[in-house]
Amino acid sequence: MPTKTIDRRDFIKTTAAAGLALGAGSRDAGARASNELRVALIGAGNQGLVLVESCQKIPNIRITALCDIWAEYQQKYVSNRLSTYGHTHNTYIDYEEMLDNEKDRLDAVIVATPDFWHAAHAIACLKAGLHVYCEKEMATNPEDARRIVRAARESGKLLQVGHQRRSNPRYLFCYQKLLREAMLLGRITTANGQWNRSRQDLRTMPARYAMSPETLEKYGYRSMQQFLNWRWYRGLGGGPIVDLGSHQIDIFNWFVGARPSSIVASGGTDYYNRETHEWYDNVMALFEYPTPGGTVRAFYQTLTTNNFGGYYEVFLGDQGSLEISESGARAKVYRDIANAPDWGSWVKQGLLLAPEEEPEPQPQAQLDVRESVAPPSYALPIQLLKPYHQPHLENFFDAIRGKAKLTCPGEVGFETAVTVLKVNEAVEANRPVLFKPQDFEL
Amino acid sequence: MAAQFEIRCTHPDAKYARQAADYAFRVADQLEQKLSRFIENSDISRINHLSAGEHAIVSYETMQCLRLARFMHAETGGAFDVATGKGLESLDLVPGEFLVCAHANGVHLDMGAIGKGYAVDRMAEVLEDWEVEQALISAGYSSVLSLEPPSGSEDWPLTISMPGKGANATLANVAGRQRALGASGIRKPDHILDPRTGKPVRLRQAAWVSAPRRVLADIGRPAEVGSSPAAVADALSTAFMIVPPVEIKKYCCRHPGLEAWILQPHLIHFVNR
Repeated sequence: MPTKTIDRRDFIKTTAAAGLALGAGSRDAGARASNELRVALIGAGNQGLVLVESCQKIPNIRITALCDIWAEYQQKYVSNRLSTYGHTHNTYIDYEEMLDNEKDRLDAVIVATPDFWHAAHAIACLKAGLHVYCEKEMATNPEDARRIVRAARESGKLLQVGHQRRSNPRYLFCYQKLLREAMLLGRITTANGQWNRSRQDLRTMPARYAMSPETLEKYGYRSMQQFLNWRWYRGLGGGPIVDLGSHQIDIFNWFVGARPSSIVASGGTDYYNRETHEWYDNVMALFEYPTPGGTVRAFYQTLTTNNFGGYYEVFLGDQGSLEISESGARAKVYRDIANAPDWGSWVKQGLLLAPEEEPEPQPQAQLDVRESVAPPSYALPIQLLKPYHQPHLENFFDAIRGKAKLTCPGEVGFETAVTVLKVNEAVEANRPVLFKPQDFEL
Repeated sequence: MAAQFEIRCTHPDAKYARQAADYAFRVADQLEQKLSRFIENSDISRINHLSAGEHAIVSYETMQCLRLARFMHAETGGAFDVATGKGLESLDLVPGEFLVCAHANGVHLDMGAIGKGYAVDRMAEVLEDWEVEQALISAGYSSVLSLEPPSGSEDWPLTISMPGKGANATLANVAGRQRALGASGIRKPDHILDPRTGKPVRLRQAAWVSAPRRVLADIGRPAEVGSSPAAVADALSTAFMIVPPVEIKKYCCRHPGLEAWILQPHLIHFVNR
């Protein structure tokens, strides 16, 4: 690409003089840096593109193969984007052909296909001796999720499941520092969370981009409409509770530090057409967690007709509350004035940012009376300055290099899948559903 | 950024048109995630956190937008500046590597005055790809791009008005057809800074720039980032909040088809047809 801004050689010269190490220096096809990893992507949809955009920002990662059945549209789009980013790659429609041709040149595969394909794709890649980053939900049923974990164990390869909040520095900080070390909330009794979205039409595309009926059928879709909206269909996806709720119910499991013992849930397709929205368009679920400190109850809601409140998780203890969201605008800790000790020492230690100062009264007065002052809220001293999925991919790549431990290995992703998939079962049953110990067994 | 995007369009299949618009809005949302300084992990926020000697790898769209912004900075003699005097010169862009390197601390970019137009241009590409060609796209009413008019109409009727005076204060009518119209003003006080002095613009109340898409695309062509007429109109309207009238006149003379209006306090209209 021509540039009017700076000559490439001049740039290398100036930065070398400044002692700046550049990660993105060499991307030509032949050379391979010692710590470079070669990665394939299966599934070039919206999520695949998000992961490509994150990989682009990680040094020494090269995407060298791309597989997607929709050759005329999304495969082409993501392929162009990879070329723009200097990732020389081969493209495939069929994943088995890709693995046959590419497996000896690859280190890892990112699986970002619709949920019902995850097991076939992830297991084939693991059997081919490749590490796998598998998007959530691991599968549309616990048995497939279990098979993926077993395949990972048998292969000895790494399996990272795409619950990216597990690598988000803000979530890690809250879990490790605030909840475990400082025990800032006291005894956690309750959690709640939600992801509400506005009403949306079904997705469609201009007819000229449609895949042939033969291709659609071969890969398990009745129509282009079903392919584009697979998340709503039974057997293909799991509906909003799985697409959205899974990320946050995963945080319930993680922060509470337990597996749930039961679920009560209600939901239905109450707004959209049940022919096209087979999964529930709204779900409310109540989980019970037995923990050594006592029972924790957690409420979760997902709506697809109104986005009020957006998405967040809240943890409530007898000394304070933590509000957190993947979106950085929403991360605060609230102290329970009546029951919590002073948190000044945590501020001094840098665990919390100081709340807005309460006004000192004038010397002659007991109080300076004014507009009501909100109870103290403490912001967190931590920011995420990377795209949301970048830290999770970095954790996966660092683990391949032996420099890190996976933050969401298959076993963890499996527990979350079991928890979340049970919600749909509980809605269907319309009564409390208990988890059996064997549900979580691999 | 943080603007409200709007699409008006006509199409025989209203449901299809709505889905096309949804797709275009998703594209705008994705750009917002990259270009907004209000989002903590956007490309622009990451650049704004760079210290001297550090670099950031940015996405394709961010690099395109930065290159266009830098070109419009030069094109307007520094009057358009996404850094308002705070650091654009201290950034090196390496387009092929998508690298942005800082040579000084304290860079502060705000893509608001070009990013909205850039998003509108990308939304237009979506609608045209979907063959929804009778459309009018707006970002916060300040970056507007008209495509083909509704059947039976000559154009999308647009007006520019006295700020804050309602519908009775029309200053000019603009026939929207394959044309971008960008507006800047100081109804939100002191939010436009003269990058050359760092002081807020107070003399001029508002500026508008309008031209056919191809005229604006030609102006931006040397930036080599593809066609972005609404982004160019957006940047020019911001620059024309501070460029002296004589310079605006010259600029319009050099670009037949380009029209500009400034309000200080009387309306001055520049055009070379």
